[in-house]
Amino acid sequence: MNNEFTIEFISNSENERLARTLCSVFLLPLDPTLDELSEIKTAVSEAVTNAVIHGYKGGQGIIKFKGILCGDTVTYIISDFGQGIADIDKAREPLYSGSSDEERSGMGFSIMEAFTDEMVVESGVGEGTTVILKKRFGCDGR
Amino acid sequence: METTIIPKQRMLVAKLTGEIDHHSASEIRYALEREYKRTGTLNIALDFGRVTFMDSAGIGMILGRYKTVKAMGGNIIIYDVSDQVKRILEMAGIGNIAIITDTLRDAIIKLEGSMR
Repeated sequence: MNNEFTIEFISNSENERLARTLCSVFLLPLDPTLDELSEIKTAVSEAVTNAVIHGYKGGQGIIKFKGILCGDTVTYIISDFGQGIADIDKAREPLYSGSSDEERSGMGFSIMEAFTDEMVVESGVGEGTTVILKKRFGCDGR
Repeated sequence: METTIIPKQRMLVAKLTGEIDHHSASEIRYALEREYKRTGTLNIALDFGRVTFMDSAGIGMILGRYKTVKAMGGNIIIYDVSDQVKRILEMAGIGNIAIITDTLRDAIIKLEGSMR
C-alpha cells in the first residue's frame, strides 16, 4: 500500500483538529488498532500545536502537512516557516516549555517520541521547524 | 460545557465534551475560572465521560486549574476517563496531584476520606 498527500493550512488553532482527522483517515488502510490510532493522532496534534503556538506565536502563517504511506509504515511531516527553535535539545527536554504566557505542560515532544517509532526535528532560527513522525503498524504480533 | 454544583462538598462539577486540544483548552479554562469564582466553590470535578480525545494541552489546562484550587485549599477530581486520556494523565503524573476515579461517587468518598 503506497499513498501520499500534501496539504497546507493557516496556523489557526481550529486546524489542529483538521490535521488529526486527516491523519486518522489517511492511515485507515493499515487497519490500525484504537490504541495505535490514538497514539499517532496525539503525536500529530502535538506537532501541529507546536507550529501554531511556537512557530508563529499565535500570528498567522502556513503549516504544511504531508503524509506518506509506504508498506506498513506511515510518515507524517509537519512544517512551519516561523521563527524556529534555537536549542532543539533543550526544547525536547521533558517538561520544558518555550511558552510562558499560555498554560502549557511542556510534554509535546515527549508524547511525540513515546507515541511514534521515530521522531526527527529539524529547525533553525528564522527558518522554521520540521517534525517528522514515523510509525509502523501491525507489527505488534497481531 | 455544562456545570452543576454539589453544595455539600462545595464542588463545581463540569461535564467536558468532545476533543480537548490547544484550541478547546483555552475555552474550558476561561469557563471553569469564571464559574469557580462566580459559584464560590472549593473543589473542581471534571467529568471526562464524553471526552473523545485529549493531548498535552489538556494537561496544561488541568495543571492550571490545580493551581487555582490549591490556592484555596481545594482539590481537583477527574472521573470517567477513556484509556487514551488515562495514558496521557499517567505520562504527566496527574495522579499525584488530582483524585482520579471511575465515578463521581467514588471521588466524593475519597475526598471525604482525605478530609477526615
